[in-house]
Amino acid sequence: MPSPTDLAELPFLREALFELVLLAITGGVLGAWVVLRRLAFFSHAAGSATFPGLVIADASGVTPTLAGLAVGLGYAGGVERAGRAGHEHGEGTALLLVAALAGGVILASDVFESGAAVDRLLFGTLLGLTATDLAVSAAVAAVATVAAIGLGRTWSAVGFDPDGARALGLPVARADLLLLCLVAVAAVAAIPAVGVLLVTAVYVLPAAAARLLTASIRGLIACALGLALAEGVVGLYAAYWLDVPPGPPVAVLGSLVCLAAALATRRTAA
Amino acid sequence: MTAQAGAAGVAIAVDGLSAGYDGAPVLTEVGFSAAPGRLVCVLGPNGGGKTTLFRALLGELEPLAGSIELSGRPAYMAQTERTRLDFPVTALDVAVMGTLAHGRWWLPPGRRERDAARAALERVGLTDQADVRFGELSGGQRQRALLARALVQDAPVLLLDEPLSGVDPASATLIAAVFRELRAEGRTLLVASHDVESARSFDLVLCLNGRQVAFGEPAATLDRATLQATYGHELIVLEGGRGAVTVQHHEHGHEH
Amino acid sequence: MEAIDFVLDPLRSGIDRRALLELALVGSLCGALGFWVVTERLAYSAESISHGLLPGLVLAALAGAPLLLGAAGGALAAAVLIAVAARDQRAGPDVGTAVAVTGLVGLGALLAFAPDSPQRLEELLFGDPLGVTDGDLVAATALVVLGGGALAALHRPLAAVAFDPGGAAAAGLQPARLRLALLVLLAAAVAVAVQGLGALLVLAVLVAPPVAVRTHARTPARAMLAGAAVAVLAAIVGMEVSFHAHSAAGASVALALCAAAALGALLRPSPRAARRGAPPRSLRRAPASPGRGPARA
Repeated sequence: MPSPTDLAELPFLREALFELVLLAITGGVLGAWVVLRRLAFFSHAAGSATFPGLVIADASGVTPTLAGLAVGLGYAGGVERAGRAGHEHGEGTALLLVAALAGGVILASDVFESGAAVDRLLFGTLLGLTATDLAVSAAVAAVATVAAIGLGRTWSAVGFDPDGARALGLPVARADLLLLCLVAVAAVAAIPAVGVLLVTAVYVLPAAAARLLTASIRGLIACALGLALAEGVVGLYAAYWLDVPPGPPVAVLGSLVCLAAALATRRTAA
Repeated sequence: MTAQAGAAGVAIAVDGLSAGYDGAPVLTEVGFSAAPGRLVCVLGPNGGGKTTLFRALLGELEPLAGSIELSGRPAYMAQTERTRLDFPVTALDVAVMGTLAHGRWWLPPGRRERDAARAALERVGLTDQADVRFGELSGGQRQRALLARALVQDAPVLLLDEPLSGVDPASATLIAAVFRELRAEGRTLLVASHDVESARSFDLVLCLNGRQVAFGEPAATLDRATLQATYGHELIVLEGGRGAVTVQHHEHGHEH
Repeated sequence: MEAIDFVLDPLRSGIDRRALLELALVGSLCGALGFWVVTERLAYSAESISHGLLPGLVLAALAGAPLLLGAAGGALAAAVLIAVAARDQRAGPDVGTAVAVTGLVGLGALLAFAPDSPQRLEELLFGDPLGVTDGDLVAATALVVLGGGALAALHRPLAAVAFDPGGAAAAGLQPARLRLALLVLLAAAVAVAVQGLGALLVLAVLVAPPVAVRTHARTPARAMLAGAAVAVLAAIVGMEVSFHAHSAAGASVALALCAAAALGALLRPSPRAARRGAPPRSLRRAPASPGRGPARA
């Protein structure tokens, strides 16, 4: 077993560590709202929908993350206008995601012949993180934190009682649109590290476990932050040790933590 | 358009109001006014326009025609069925939400806001339940918490959408007492209700059924013809013409 | 003639012939079954189960066992886990499902990336129709025969329950059991279909055909038959494209299915059909809770 301190000492691992820490910050402050406002599927879809765009960008040398942001924002805007976020997503969305995945893999395997990119884009990479990826994740973490501080009360009021929130004069539509855009952008930011398919490992799993363990919104955010950090770091170590992309170990770890939380609180659950 | 009233001793004045969705009017010919310190009961069947009127008064719906004058932004108490019971908020948190109406929603609640929320909770008798999760409160307690949220807004006009439906008698009495206190403070309340009999104890009554059927003091206004025009087939007249009850169609679940 | 040769070329290759046969068989059953999947709003469950069976597939691949076995076991395990996770009251069903599916997909990938495993992950995710075995063809045939028989036998009860669950229950039908039967059939179909289309794309063969035909077919029976036809047609088109353009076979068929759905949804029904009375979009019941539309007084 390699030494855990390698994470901090080896340069390429240090970058991965920073990336996962930054993603964990967003996973905590924004993930809490993903869970509270029922955006779990949306966050997964926002990641998957960008897949073909990422393949194209990757093959043409454009930084995929930046290209993915445009697609992600477009998806968020479309979903908000359709009024579907968090509610029953239709068959149309499901087929859209299938088409995105199928299109992406054809582009990758047959058009650009960059087959190796598929695994990386689907499940993340340990060693291939760039400075741009880190910069984007840092920016997202900063914006998400500021937004969560400023809009948290509004998002809570809307989630609790949308009619009442409107009656209070809150900018409900704009606040929700911003939330969707943030989640979509955050999803894209997580793709280099954990991959298109496992974005929820950062934004849903820690917050879901935290939801089971806490009783207030503040507690939820704090607990989600802590769990996201722990799962990210431990998952990264496991990825290094087992020589696999970071996405899968973080996902497995996150779901096991949720399972443990569910079992631990089963008797005291309301 | 909503304009400022108040100086002329009018809390709310509506004239020729027509409102609806997607350009199609659901409610037409509404015109009434009320001075400060009045209890107005808004009667009407489901789909008759009560909630539409409230939305127009709140500024959520742009009126298709007519004008609205209000002395300040009204506070709104919604039907409790539309709130999420699994949300991790306490009764105090819900009351504090009312302070968001004061603007500056981007700031966290301060000491003054928390104190105002606690005072509101005390008024509705929920001091001991301040830290209980909203979803764990009884139906009547939840209504009272939502009323506390409306109280915190310190508004001159309050719009209450069926505040007493599905509420236990103890809570109902408490809530009615708060209404009288608010009236004494010079506030005007519009209470949407299905209970024709209780409407007789209000200062004014407004009957809506797609349009304004009648407005005025209950004794003069609530005659059989008006009730018939308001409720139509939903009306059941008790024998001897001593009173009338309405059939309530509720699609959401109640706690009894 | 050149055009005919162009079309028939794939059929000259034994591999492509078998692939096409497999996809056509699976597509015909799934295209019909898909009508009930969409009507009973099981698309999300189908998607979750198909993604969640990945560890089963990977384990079967690692052990050298038939993929069908892994798919069936994986689908069963996924269905149970998802059902349990979705029942959690505090987090909510969408979060519970996401936790279960993310964990399972992560587990599958983890097992697949283990150093001494064959790198078949892409085939498991996106399908490998060209690698179809005799066993797969037998399974597909069995699916069509048994599944088709089940659909035929259950047709009237399913239609009654979909139209009016309360009334059907009062008449002695058991909606819960029917739904369970449907889920079992769904899991079986997914397990067989996953060979050709892969865990990530198999949803298309269940959801795209009903979406393609729903504004055009007037009765459930016609919708099911039309769905089956659309699925078979899409399989042919997809395989042709794959053969001539050298694109991944499973993904090509999936894209053809999605294209069919888009076409079907965009094409309005003919005026003649409209004059006979609006065709039922599906037997979808009204949502139980008040929708997001404007609240009435």
